[in-house]
Amino acid sequence: MPVKKRANVKKSVTFSDDTTLSHHNTKKKNIDHDHPPVFVRKTIRTVPWHIIGLLYYYIYLSDDYDTMRLLYLLIPSQVLYLVFQFNSATIYGNKILKINYTLILISLSATILLTVPTLLMIIVFGAPLVEKLRESWLLALHACYLAYPAVYSLFNCDFKVGIWKIYFIFIVLGGWISCVVIPLDWDREWQAWPIPVIVGSYLGAFVGYSISAFT
Amino acid sequence: MKVLQLTAILIIQLISVLIFCIGFFPSKNVLEGDAVFEISSDAQLNAKPAFNKLVLVVIDALRSDFLFDQDISQFNYIHELSNNGYAWGFTAFSNPPTVTLPRLKGITTGSTPNFLDAILNVAEDDSSSNLKNQDSWPMQFAKHGKKIRFFGDDTWLKLFPHEIFTEYEGTNSFFVSDFEQVDHNVTRHLEKQIKEKNDWDALILHYLGLDHIGHKGGPTSKFMGPKHREMDSIIKNLFETVGQDENTLICVMGDHGMNEVGNHGGSSPGETSAGLVLISKKLKNFEVPSDQKGVKLPIKSVNVAPEEDKQYKFLTQIQQVDIVPTLSALFNIPFPKNNVGVMMPSILELLDPKLFRIKLQENFRQLMIVSNNKDIRQLYESYDFENTEIKDIISEMKDIQGELTSSATNYNVPLLYLGLGLIFILTLTISFWFYFSVLEVDFKNVLIVIISLLIGLSSFASSFVEEEHQIWWWIITGLITVSAINLPDQKIAHLVMFVCVRIIRGWNNSGQKYSYDRTISILLNTEYEDFQWYLNIATILYIMLKDSTDNLISFMFSYNLGSVCILYKVCWTIINQDHVPEPIYKAAIYICRRLSRDYSLQDISVVEENLIPIARFFFYSVLAIVIAIYGSAKLKLIKNPIKDIQKTLTFLLIFQSPSSYIGLFMVYDILQSSLSSLLVNQYSSNVMITSTISLVLQYFTFFQFGGTNSIATADLTNAYNGVSEDYNIYFVGFLMCVSNFAPAIYWAMFPWKVIYNQIKPNNKWNVFAENKLPIVYFNCIAGCFLLLSCFILRYHLFIWSVFSPKLCYYATWNIFMNLIVGWVLEIAVLSMVDK
Repeated sequence: MPVKKRANVKKSVTFSDDTTLSHHNTKKKNIDHDHPPVFVRKTIRTVPWHIIGLLYYYIYLSDDYDTMRLLYLLIPSQVLYLVFQFNSATIYGNKILKINYTLILISLSATILLTVPTLLMIIVFGAPLVEKLRESWLLALHACYLAYPAVYSLFNCDFKVGIWKIYFIFIVLGGWISCVVIPLDWDREWQAWPIPVIVGSYLGAFVGYSISAFT
Repeated sequence: MKVLQLTAILIIQLISVLIFCIGFFPSKNVLEGDAVFEISSDAQLNAKPAFNKLVLVVIDALRSDFLFDQDISQFNYIHELSNNGYAWGFTAFSNPPTVTLPRLKGITTGSTPNFLDAILNVAEDDSSSNLKNQDSWPMQFAKHGKKIRFFGDDTWLKLFPHEIFTEYEGTNSFFVSDFEQVDHNVTRHLEKQIKEKNDWDALILHYLGLDHIGHKGGPTSKFMGPKHREMDSIIKNLFETVGQDENTLICVMGDHGMNEVGNHGGSSPGETSAGLVLISKKLKNFEVPSDQKGVKLPIKSVNVAPEEDKQYKFLTQIQQVDIVPTLSALFNIPFPKNNVGVMMPSILELLDPKLFRIKLQENFRQLMIVSNNKDIRQLYESYDFENTEIKDIISEMKDIQGELTSSATNYNVPLLYLGLGLIFILTLTISFWFYFSVLEVDFKNVLIVIISLLIGLSSFASSFVEEEHQIWWWIITGLITVSAINLPDQKIAHLVMFVCVRIIRGWNNSGQKYSYDRTISILLNTEYEDFQWYLNIATILYIMLKDSTDNLISFMFSYNLGSVCILYKVCWTIINQDHVPEPIYKAAIYICRRLSRDYSLQDISVVEENLIPIARFFFYSVLAIVIAIYGSAKLKLIKNPIKDIQKTLTFLLIFQSPSSYIGLFMVYDILQSSLSSLLVNQYSSNVMITSTISLVLQYFTFFQFGGTNSIATADLTNAYNGVSEDYNIYFVGFLMCVSNFAPAIYWAMFPWKVIYNQIKPNNKWNVFAENKLPIVYFNCIAGCFLLLSCFILRYHLFIWSVFSPKLCYYATWNIFMNLIVGWVLEIAVLSMVDK
């Protein structure tokens, strides 16, 4: 259904000296028009600085690691990040797609739906099945909204999973690695489920959004 | 030829570990001979003892709160005695390892246990744990012509020469689920000993029932209350008869405590806090110990902390070994030579006033000799025993005791260096060899190095040693995820694997810190008991029928084993008086009656009669079938002998597993099928990957089978299958290893099907070597780090509670899983495949 829209998109003018863009321009002839290439520009603009800010807030400013409030802060900042940073670095075909506000809302709610399989995945990865379900679901919400720009782009670019997969992988990887601290006997309050995993997936997302384009 | 080189490496590795262990667990230096009075010996010899009759009631696993805590204790008579001033209560710290044999040594000789005693607790008839040549208060009693009677746990009879008891009878913990008979066998002697043959000087009773209840149902089991009352009535009986004499001392104590789930062996507060009560009419005349002043028993627990944070500290806290000099002083016998206990200050007033300073000095002198330390000797020689405050002398002695108990072992450092050096050189060698023999350095080859380093490094952190299952779980989720990303079109297979490992994880508690009370195995034992048995039967049928319907011989074999296996498991459960669904119960009784051709006996006794023969029949069947498979393989009667051997051994593993774990084998099988099809089809049966996966699953399932790195979880319940009372210790040891390593053996057999399936006979030993390389390499690296961490941390607080058990487990893994299962068994199986 978004196929029709594509015709209306204006060619945007860019002053970017990004080589990938021109590189792809030269290969214009090879572009398969049903499956145009999708990629993210290799630019420092995609670095999600707000994630560092949120983490700083979470670890040092919020009282008692307020996971809920962090989520309220995460969602709008992810939308802003998408609109101002991530989307403008996403190339579909050889165009930068204009931001689609309806799709922003659609993917916001789609992300909520995505938390259900994510929650199942978290349980499969070892979270308790009955106890602490709320915490696990909060973790799922965080993980999903961290992936939100990728989800949006996935919708926006005809479900070409290939290039967006890496963003999800980085978030999962960050969460997975951070589990290591949980069994240690330091008796710190931040070792409680799911705080280390939230921090880990934020770091994973930060790394993911920063460097995925380069891989 | 690779096989020979690898075997050499394995043997050198085992030798270096053994050398290290010999240096690490040296047999303790024990002072020989019996003690005599040294200081003013005439005065001591002629002194009148404070008591002349001792009744020692040891209640196995009597944790302090069972005696004192209002929420759990039902020892109402003891509370009453205490509130009337006839009883003094204590919390006695029992030094780990908290198992019966080392604790009895502590209680009688006053020495701190040697770590190896915990292991020897299993090999009970080993003579090295005998106390014949070690000084102890029972020996001193006997030497001073006192008559001792003993009734109870036969561990005492293994420790002491029987001559010192004028009358005795041992009971044993053969059936852990026997709560009644084992104690009745002790109590039935009491009447006669109190009334008719009241000529003894010491009566020792050791009750096991409470410990059995703990192992079976935990500290809050419904059987606990009645057991408390039963024990309490025995104390009442004793106090109202022999206790009416002022010169009788009744001492009630636990040899150790238990943890939240009722096991013991480790060093958690619950396990080390044993209860102790001294009861006598005489105590009324003296001041109660300061911590007990104004305390009314039972104590209302002010502790609102969650279960695992409980400290179990009630009333006066002492070291359990302090009971030894206390009893010796009260009965005026010399302090046993190896004692590190310090007399309880509260009993000093009971002694002859002329005597107590002499006794203190004697105790001090004896600690000084045990310590064999120049500074302490100087301190002793210049000490003013006449005028120093009692309190100061005691605290000085407590300091010495602290030093002595914390450095219970003198390491043999040259041997430690030798063992460490050897394994380091070996690891370097094998690393180079690994590097040059494996041509390409890619993920599948580097994987084992990463895993080995992870596990190796984790052995420096005590929490990771205690919670090792978490690391394996972490590794396994990582591996499946990597594989799922790598093969995006195999979604179903990966999903199945993920769900299987998650179920395996949810089946049991593991680790030493947390326990959940809603794991699958607990649910199967409580709320879903019927379902447990239908699941067990389904599992056994499934394994019985799978892949064996095409060949009549294989089918006969597995049919035989499967049916005997389920029959035995049902019978075992009936004997243990656990629930079995009605139809299954009836069927089992019917079969047992047919087997013994006796229709007059009661249900239970007819099953009991058949239990050992069924188990023996099963073991002989396994043996016969293995031989038959071997023969048929040579004669080419069966197509796939490896598969049949694997199935036969799987039945042996199920046989040796607790009944609530049998369902796990179905999950294992599903996981195994989906894994092997993935490995064969997608990874072209790569030996390296298969072997690495098998290693990870061995450890992972071992831990999720309830295993940990603590001695407390070594399960003995299935070690006595098919053995009668005069058992062979090697066979019991073998059965114990099989039952504790059952899942690990299962997964060690897993690569056979994948890699030896289409094998050419001239290539098979190369494949074998390739299969073993990762495992040997893993053990070298992990061993290197572990030995290093034990060496560096040898003065660490947790060395005996965390690192030493881990070292023992590591050695057991190497000897049992690597040498016996991995080499001997696998080579035997592989030699069947020819042409």
